[in-house]
Amino acid sequence: MALVTGAVSIGVLLTGCTPGAGDDSSQEAVTQEDIDTAMTTPTKLTFWTWVPDIENEVKLFEEKYPDIDVTVENVGQGLPHYQKLRSAIEAGEGAPDVTQVEYQYIPSFVLNDSLLDLTPYGADDLSGDYVDWAWNQVSPDDAVWAIPQDVGPMGNLYRQDILSQAGITEPPATWEEYAAAAKTVKDSTGSYISNLGATQAGQMIGFFWQAGVKPFAYDGKETVSVNVNSDEAKKVATYWTELIQQDLISTDVDFADQWYQGLASGKYAGWLTAAWGPIFLQGTAEGTAGAWRAAPLPQWTAGDEVSGNWGGSSDAVLASSENKIAAYELAKFINHDEESAMRLATEQFLFPPQVSVLEDPAFVDQESAFYGGQKVNQLFADISQTVDTDFQWVPYMDYVYSTYEDTIGTVITDKGDIAAALDTWQDQLVKYAEDQGFTVE
Amino acid sequence: MTSMDTRSIVTGEGEGDGTAAPRRARRRYTPEGRRSLLLTVLLWLCVLYFVLPLWWLFVSSTKSNTALFSTFGMWFGGDFSLWDNLQALFTVRGGIFLRWMLNTLVYSVSSALGATLLATMAGYAFAKYDFPGKKVLFSATLGAVMIPLTALALPTYLLFSQAGLTDTPWAIIIPSLVSPFGVYLMRVYAADAIPDGLIEAGRVDGAGEFRIFWQVGLRLLGPGLVTVFLFSLVATWNNYFLPLIMLNSSELYPITVGLAQLQAAASGGGGSQTLFSTVITGSFVSILPLVIAFLFLQRYWQSGLASGGVKG
Repeated sequence: MALVTGAVSIGVLLTGCTPGAGDDSSQEAVTQEDIDTAMTTPTKLTFWTWVPDIENEVKLFEEKYPDIDVTVENVGQGLPHYQKLRSAIEAGEGAPDVTQVEYQYIPSFVLNDSLLDLTPYGADDLSGDYVDWAWNQVSPDDAVWAIPQDVGPMGNLYRQDILSQAGITEPPATWEEYAAAAKTVKDSTGSYISNLGATQAGQMIGFFWQAGVKPFAYDGKETVSVNVNSDEAKKVATYWTELIQQDLISTDVDFADQWYQGLASGKYAGWLTAAWGPIFLQGTAEGTAGAWRAAPLPQWTAGDEVSGNWGGSSDAVLASSENKIAAYELAKFINHDEESAMRLATEQFLFPPQVSVLEDPAFVDQESAFYGGQKVNQLFADISQTVDTDFQWVPYMDYVYSTYEDTIGTVITDKGDIAAALDTWQDQLVKYAEDQGFTVE
Repeated sequence: MTSMDTRSIVTGEGEGDGTAAPRRARRRYTPEGRRSLLLTVLLWLCVLYFVLPLWWLFVSSTKSNTALFSTFGMWFGGDFSLWDNLQALFTVRGGIFLRWMLNTLVYSVSSALGATLLATMAGYAFAKYDFPGKKVLFSATLGAVMIPLTALALPTYLLFSQAGLTDTPWAIIIPSLVSPFGVYLMRVYAADAIPDGLIEAGRVDGAGEFRIFWQVGLRLLGPGLVTVFLFSLVATWNNYFLPLIMLNSSELYPITVGLAQLQAAASGGGGSQTLFSTVITGSFVSILPLVIAFLFLQRYWQSGLASGGVKG
């Protein structure tokens, strides 16, 4: 821990020595002098985020920089947040200085130059402090668009009691074993081994991510590539289609009443979810405490260790901010300061992308009674090292998600062929991109 | 000040009628022979229809998150955790729920008082004065009844944004002051409740038009005032879309938007929280003031509507 702090201050010092002083022009590096001036000038910052109680971490920032006054505003979670953000950006006023952005929505704000490139402010120096794949999410090329806040590497939460009742003692290591286990569990206990959220694009895209599918790409300008119906994607889709058609996987809409009941009642013997899932589950299915265990996702090739990601956010600085240096320091502090990052991980239960937290015994050695005393954080910290580093998005993910519900979601509910539906989805996404004036590769 | 006057007049009017109401009510129920089984059954079905959701809300607010999803919805189950839920509700995010309650109260009471006063003045003018353009203006008012507030929310937002009033309480109160339906109601009501003779008498005695409205008209309009007041109160209390787009600061939110935001915290993604029992308890607490307002005001309202016409 001390080492990391040391490294950070060296980083700051180094930036200080970088030649080429400039005010806050976006091209030249900012000097330590600029930073000192900015951080001791009375400044008001606005921070839009939906992280509950983030005021606690912001308070740490204000204690360190008493001249900076931060207003935290929660304007909504997910889509409502982005709608407000976009209208404020378009209106030219009322936009915050720092905003929470989920990784998949970063390109949509890069597209119209709404985000500030953080490289001149020293963000490059932070690259080694975060797990590689998370850093690539905020910095797909030379620019750095945001500071990673939390991530959702995927794993397998399962009911050990139900699985052992079916004679399964080890969590399935491969998808093949998983399918076989699904049949055994269903036959001997009547439970589904897990549920595939019918309208949950995030989960399916996470499975794609794990399988090495690269459905999207974006060059930061006007060229996108859409490839949701590749052979690898269809392999994943066919796998789920078969399980669903054999009635071995249920397809309830997740995060809805029936689904919560299913988790509590043992209708599902597992949940393939992200690193934020364990705590969430604990809050909804207390009655099953102690019966759950966590494991990595089943693998496509035996012996592999690969995972995908589902969810997570970053904090970005808007290009329209009038106090860019202070805004960057805020985004950095919240997700980089030792105490702040640790509190985000242990009090708000955001799964950390920061290497120092992932290696901190205070975080990874926590034993969870809900999971029979298992060190769940350690498990997901290990999984986080195995997420493919080269996954990208397109700048119109709202549309991607909404069409997922219409095309793939309905097919899943009707137990149809998901692989065939991928073709329809592909056509829609390409057509939309062309209509919007993108060059599609 | 003027708004307060309106309210005291309303209350004063109501108290006079309050004594009359039970007497009349007793007389209405005396003919035992006229009871109809069919009607009774139908009414009980209606009661079920309206009360069951409230019952569910009450029962659910006594459950923990886990019990919510593992026990029967219409009856108590698991531990009785109403107090825990209330505690969680009033402490979540630094006790912001209380702030939301107060916001809703301030927005809806001030909007309702203002809307009632404006609607009454306009309705009175439409009913009792002849002036050029009266028909056109009244038709426009009637037409405005048909336009839902939601449809006007976005244009209103743009206007308020230019005036720099977004993210302030005014952004909620000012649009809620306009109640075309209230104007219509008050016009119809004023036409019957205030005899032209009274106004003439006032004029003969040398009272100005404003004094006649204030001292004669308003007193006769009491029951109508309560009706419009309640309508606007409920409309602002339940308004969701307008505050959703107008406000950014959590401290300014009314309960509707605040609860929706708590509920959204449970959607998938990083930092998800399961606040269902908190949200449900919050919904339960948030309807209590309305229920109380109706229980207190309904007798003025009912008796007033029935007797207003004959009083003059």
